[in-house]
Amino acid sequence: MNLLIALLIIFSNPSDKVKIIDPWMRVGAEGKATGLFFKIENNSDKADTLFKAEFDLAGKVEIHETYDAGNDMMGMREVEMIVIPSKSSFELKPGSFHVMLMKLKQDIKKGDEGEVILFFKQAGEIKIKAKAKEMMMKKMEHKH
Amino acid sequence: MKIIIIKYFILTFTLFLNLALLTGCYDHFPLDQDISRTQNTFFNQDSVEVEFPELTKGKITLMTMVFTHCPDICPMTTHNMHLVDQKLPDKIKDDVKLVVISFDPNRDTPSVLRKYAELREYDFNRWFLLSGDDQNTKEVMLKLDVKAIFTDSTYSDDGELSYNIIHTDRMALIDQNGRLRNNYKGSVANLDEVVEDIEYLSK
Repeated sequence: MNLLIALLIIFSNPSDKVKIIDPWMRVGAEGKATGLFFKIENNSDKADTLFKAEFDLAGKVEIHETYDAGNDMMGMREVEMIVIPSKSSFELKPGSFHVMLMKLKQDIKKGDEGEVILFFKQAGEIKIKAKAKEMMMKKMEHKH
Repeated sequence: MKIIIIKYFILTFTLFLNLALLTGCYDHFPLDQDISRTQNTFFNQDSVEVEFPELTKGKITLMTMVFTHCPDICPMTTHNMHLVDQKLPDKIKDDVKLVVISFDPNRDTPSVLRKYAELREYDFNRWFLLSGDDQNTKEVMLKLDVKAIFTDSTYSDDGELSYNIIHTDRMALIDQNGRLRNNYKGSVANLDEVVEDIEYLSK
């Protein structure tokens, strides 16, 4: 029994332990930039790091953060990586961290779907499919 | 003596209350700034020359300033304007226009703005996306207190200049007389508040 458990641990795919939830991208025009959003769940015992992403329909892909620059101004900056501690989750969402898809090679219209590869230090490459919409997630539509 | 002091206090309080009411302390809106004294020239999404704010005179205008290369805050703001528009009662929709002005006119040409709107299915009978020269753009930014700081300029391998813009996150409400009445943080605005303000102006 112990041997079986040991083998399962050795041969289990690390990416099973990192899950990408609800990926979606915002519509965007050819030549412009848009954002890709999703939630990362790290169920493993080790911290993991998202350090790169690739998208065939974008000339350039970077991990970005939208930040409050003060005086009602907002800015955006590249971040090298996002670290997700073990047994925790991290959400890339509008107005916050996102994967920036730049120099789009074609229009991304509502309903379009694209395959994105996310690169993690522990889990390796994770392929996801993201659907395009303009709509933000419900919780971003603020009601006070 | 005590009665005189109490009377004096009541009189003073009443005077202050009247003064507050007369000066508009209880006005529904925090702003009342006439932005229609001067006009600025822009091109709409069909490359037709228009004057702003004359363009929406007599209508309630919900507007913002954006750049279309923005992947996050600007589309959040225009999306919020779209949601506000969808929440408006049908009977007042005709009284409301939506205006988007680019503070990056060198890249945001009329055709670029048209594409931006088409991807989001905006109704061009009610939405106007405007691009102008630097001078007109800066004048409107000054009127609306919108700031844009160009950063991270770089040339890519193909020689194309790319840059980012740190900018004011703003949605503005202008009444039928060209007076700025309220500003909201565009990307996270309380949409119900904006709808209520528009309904108030439409009465």
